[in-house]
Amino acid sequence: MRHVIAFAEHRKGQTRKVTYELATQAHELAQKLGGTAHAIVLGEGAGALAESLTKYPLDVVHVAEDPDVDAYLLDPTIDYLEGAARAIGSSIVLVPNTMYGRDVASRLAARLGAGLNADVTGFAIDGERVACIAPKLGGVTITTCAFEDCEYGVATVRPNAFAAQPGGAGARLETLAKPDAKPYRMRIVNEVEEASSELGLEEAPVVVSGGRGLGGAEPFTTLLKPLADALGGAIGASRAAADAGWVPYSLQIGQTGKTVSPKLYIAVGISGAIQHKVGMRSAGTIVAINKDGTAPISEFSDLLVVGDAFQIVPALTKLINDSKA
Amino acid sequence: MRIVVTVKLVPDLNAEKRIDPATKRLVRTGMETVLNPYDEYALEAALQLKEKLGDDTTVTLLSMVPESSKETLRKALAMGADDAHVLSDEKLSGSDVFVTAAALAGVARKIGFDLVVCGGLADDGSTGGVPGALAEHLGVPGLTNARHLEISDGTITAQRETDSGYQTVTCALPALISVTMAVGEPRYASLKGIMGAKRKNIALLSAADAGVTETTSRTELLSFGPPPARTKARIVEAADGAAGAQTIFDFLRERKLV
Ligand SMILES: Cc1cc2nc3c(=O)[nH]c(=O)nc-3n(C[C@H](O)[C@H](O)[C@H](O)COP(=O)(O)OP(=O)(O)OC[C@H]3O[C@@H](n4cnc5c(N)ncnc54)[C@H](O)[C@@H]3O)c2cc1C
Repeated sequence: MRHVIAFAEHRKGQTRKVTYELATQAHELAQKLGGTAHAIVLGEGAGALAESLTKYPLDVVHVAEDPDVDAYLLDPTIDYLEGAARAIGSSIVLVPNTMYGRDVASRLAARLGAGLNADVTGFAIDGERVACIAPKLGGVTITTCAFEDCEYGVATVRPNAFAAQPGGAGARLETLAKPDAKPYRMRIVNEVEEASSELGLEEAPVVVSGGRGLGGAEPFTTLLKPLADALGGAIGASRAAADAGWVPYSLQIGQTGKTVSPKLYIAVGISGAIQHKVGMRSAGTIVAINKDGTAPISEFSDLLVVGDAFQIVPALTKLINDSKA
Repeated sequence: MRIVVTVKLVPDLNAEKRIDPATKRLVRTGMETVLNPYDEYALEAALQLKEKLGDDTTVTLLSMVPESSKETLRKALAMGADDAHVLSDEKLSGSDVFVTAAALAGVARKIGFDLVVCGGLADDGSTGGVPGALAEHLGVPGLTNARHLEISDGTITAQRETDSGYQTVTCALPALISVTMAVGEPRYASLKGIMGAKRKNIALLSAADAGVTETTSRTELLSFGPPPARTKARIVEAADGAAGAQTIFDFLRERKLV
């Protein structure tokens, strides 16, 4: 028997869809493994989020609204997760494959002596053996990798890879006890938001990305944002655009930025370098707008329209908005 | 102050990558290996700190590579690192994150450190899990995704990049940090640096030297295969903006995306 624990990443109680995807997946895996499904919510605003998680098919939602979790980086969170995982017993811990989630997962796995599988898009279960399916080497190969006979396994799960489905009889809420007091050293002095985090780039159903071809910061707001809004999506960027300071690095997609798998990815003025490709190649449909019909992006997009982005994008936005009217 | 920088050698990104069907490991022979580009940023950050802190600060490279590749580290020594410790042991080949971090921790403890600096990622399909795991194994705080590093009075202050911006974080040393590319472009080795690097020491250690006992990986690769293929694009020349927009709109309609 093995249990499954979903870690709920949030900011003052605001969370993203991936949290509900993990909660749903925790239940499905727990059923196959004959164990129970849990979620853990820590820090300011945890109570409200925990409440909304009880509508998902979980057995227990564990909560700790402890200010230390927000005052100190990572360490209190790892202590709570370790304590909860040890109390629950042999389990698979699901963490979102986000910047913060990856940090949590690598620390927790080492703490628990657990295996770590990253960027997981599927699970394969054979008896009690759990294997994770994940793209590797920048997506050139898809691997199936099992947790060995250790008590715990930690998986970072790619947003948008699993469905979120409320259900179940209503999870029980439990408060986690504070771990033994420790002198935490990584103090968070302040926090600066550079990009609105209303819609997580990683989980947006549509991403409209801009590159060097846009030539400056302004077209991101005057050209791309209206198109993204019309499609109900978010805007992203290539590294060249982030390096130029046109957009914050938090919008960068690719090897050193975010990995996205939206239903639709529109690349505007992006050449399609390998480092960009690895962050978006698993999108459902890829459309490129580029002046150059031989740009590398033609090798892996579904449609490449050769032309000037400054002409095409506003016309496209208008067509979409008109079709909705 | 003693700074340890972890460096990994990775296959050249431009070379074709493949996994050996027999060993299920990334084939590393016959492929150009280069310094992991992200580790060059880690080294750059360490060298900048050394410049600020003065000459009694040392920068030591820590690497787990096959003995045959150890000379590749001369490039990092030429950039300005003082010496290198290389952990090279057949027992450790194919290690997962857990074993790699445990092994690196063994050597780092042996060298002694105030600050361990890691790159944010490895350019070979691995998962960026080593810095966090290494911090755990060393029992020190792990300040990840850091830029704008300042050290004074035994405390490091850095901006930590987040999903939506950054946090300012302070931490008393000893600690581990992983840095982002915003620390600045890695410097080129000067001619003097290249000459000097020939005389710098590269110490070779076995797993036993490093006190590494844990060599069983926690994960096992069962199988692998190609991803669903992406075919070449339909390429349409747009006569003008309106025509280009219409082509895209019709295509999105066809796929029920609008
Ligand atoms: C270690 C490392 C890590 C990296 N990580 C990343 C990463 O995570 N993400 C990433 O994106 N890159 C990354 N890069 C950089 C990558 O190699 C490319 O340099 C970058 O992606 C190029 O960005 P771009 O496509 O916007 O610019 P370019 O390659 O300059 O392409 C601009 C495109 O715009 C087109 N264009 C110009 N004007 C117009 C117009 N008016 N209308 C339409 N099209 C136009 C041009 O034809 C061209 O194809 C990394 C590089 C390194 C070395």
